[in-house]
Amino acid sequence: MTRQVLLVDDEAEFTSILSKVLRRRGFTVRVAGTGEAALEALRESAFAVVVLDVKMPGIDGLHVLAEVSRSLPDTRVILLTGHLAPGDEEQSIAKGAFAYLLKPYPTEQLVGVIEMAQRAAEAAYELGTGAGTPVEPY
Amino acid sequence: MKRQSDQYTAMFGALVGRLILVTVLPLVVMGIANFYLFYSLNRSIVVEQHANFLRHHKESIETFLAGLVGQVSTLANQYSLAELEAGNLERAYQVIRQPAGVITDVGLIGADGRHLKYIGPYDLANRNYRDAEWFARVVADGVYVSDVFLGFRGVPHFVIAVKRTEGGTFWILRATVNTEYFSRLVDATRIGRTGETFIVNSAGLLQTKTRAAGELLAPSGYPDLLPHSGIRVRRIEQGGKSYLYTTTWLESPRWMLIFRQESHDVYGPLRQAVVIGLAMCTLGVLGGAALAAVVAGAQVRYIKRADREKEALTQRLLVAGKTAAVGEMSAGLAHEINNPLATIDTLQTWIRDLGQTSPVTDEDRLEILDSAAKIGEQVYRCKTITQGLLKFARKSDARLEQVDLQVALGEMLTILRTRARVEGVAIEDDLGYVPPMLACPAHLQQIFVNLINNAIDAVGGKPDARVLVRSRFWEDGMAHVEVLDNGCGIPAENLSSIFLPFFTTKAVGKGTGLGLAICYGLARDLGGTITVESTVGEGTAFAVVLPLRPPEPVTTGETGEASS
Repeated sequence: MTRQVLLVDDEAEFTSILSKVLRRRGFTVRVAGTGEAALEALRESAFAVVVLDVKMPGIDGLHVLAEVSRSLPDTRVILLTGHLAPGDEEQSIAKGAFAYLLKPYPTEQLVGVIEMAQRAAEAAYELGTGAGTPVEPY
Repeated sequence: MKRQSDQYTAMFGALVGRLILVTVLPLVVMGIANFYLFYSLNRSIVVEQHANFLRHHKESIETFLAGLVGQVSTLANQYSLAELEAGNLERAYQVIRQPAGVITDVGLIGADGRHLKYIGPYDLANRNYRDAEWFARVVADGVYVSDVFLGFRGVPHFVIAVKRTEGGTFWILRATVNTEYFSRLVDATRIGRTGETFIVNSAGLLQTKTRAAGELLAPSGYPDLLPHSGIRVRRIEQGGKSYLYTTTWLESPRWMLIFRQESHDVYGPLRQAVVIGLAMCTLGVLGGAALAAVVAGAQVRYIKRADREKEALTQRLLVAGKTAAVGEMSAGLAHEINNPLATIDTLQTWIRDLGQTSPVTDEDRLEILDSAAKIGEQVYRCKTITQGLLKFARKSDARLEQVDLQVALGEMLTILRTRARVEGVAIEDDLGYVPPMLACPAHLQQIFVNLINNAIDAVGGKPDARVLVRSRFWEDGMAHVEVLDNGCGIPAENLSSIFLPFFTTKAVGKGTGLGLAICYGLARDLGGTITVESTVGEGTAFAVVLPLRPPEPVTTGETGEASS
């Protein structure tokens, strides 16, 4: 299992810089600008972690999360959104999200959460148990 | 403000006028009716009074004359000529004369007209009455009451004469009635200041002394000398004065008893009553006017206060509507600012990462500079949003300005798109040229932000959610702005209620139900209209039609007070 991360966000500037930061720290990063593109990328290759925006034109983050929870038990999803909608956080955790983070989330800490999610994904993969107990980011 | 105070002055004037009309008109009508009623009643009472008086007076005068005639007749029949000559005449004179002096003298006259005996203050003993008119009449009739005549003394008087046949010849007993006494008797009852009673003979000559009607034996001036029965009342103009005459004829002698009073005097009390009535009417009118002024003043003050309260309420509604709109947009604004902030934070991490390697390669240095530039871009993006928000919030005063609707709508869409993006709604625009219009920017903003927010609510959550904002200037000289959505639509039964205050289909706490009501009021204030067309399941179209200038200056009382 590689340190492969999928960044999904319609903010191209954000994903572009974040992917540079992550790559320099040894992650393999792929970027998707829409929910549809994210689902396509997930079909093509395996990702340990998905960093997912909620509000996007077309298929939104919660739909993608549901899809991942259903068919990719070894992938950990971190929701990262600029818009705190009431109920979204509870709903996301219930659907198996690893973390629900609000933008602007400090980038250093975000990298830490991604690493934790990746370790959780690797552990699950090795145990073959699929989605385990979510690890709190702190 | 000045225009408004003029309006209240006019309102006060109109109210006072109407109230005065309402109070004074019935008063005047009633006054006139009362006057006529009172006048005619008074007239008939006066006539009745005078007639009654004269009826009774006639009786007493007739009784008096009949009594005198009876006394003289009794004397003549009771005594023989010899007895009278012997001294009974003196006694009889004392009896008839009475202490009051009813008669001035008595005389016994022989058939030849000579005085046989005379008792009285004058020297008439040798007079011969053979040629006197009364002598002829008493010889013919036996008993005679004469009219007033001058006689030998040249003094007006009248006589009562009785003929007695005795021993183949006759003699006459004659008494002269005291004119003073008789005049006083006739005019004994005074009525009013000018009322007097007198007697005229059949020729219209005065038979009694009067105070104002004329000298004894002078014509009285009363024209109607034809005998009539009963009592007659008539009004006659004489010598520039108006008199009320009441007349009746005595049976014997044929004299007419007249009561005369100046109309002026007769109707004096009536006139006084009318003057008092008029004075009271005037007082009533003045009182009514004062009352009207007080009532109208209170009413106008009440209306003024109600207007002020309404204006304040409207202002509060506008503020509430704006606050609600800002609240509705806050989530979108936060999202739109949080995104660049997240990008900025990542950029600074990236710069730090690049800077930590030593030495920094040329490639990395370019990357650092590029990232710094990107931070600037993201900051600018935030600034656009915060400034747009400020612009939105600051537009609160109701001042009229030249507005470029195209530009104003563009600015509103910048802010609204932040929310739309979060809701997954695409706002399209098709903003055509509209000439500069005179309007209140804050109100325009509130109208369109409300409508577009509603449209976003209507389509939110739907795939392919779209809102289209279109502006055009039509040949009718009006600006037409349409807000179209492909949302859920409005059921027909709700279409008529959507502009009513507090009508909402949103969940409790989500909508105040004030938005469209405020929009409608604001558009109407600008001289425009808002109409709506909707098909359930297909979408809704709101059309705002505004003139290039409002019909009349929008009242700006609130801002005027706020600035002081």
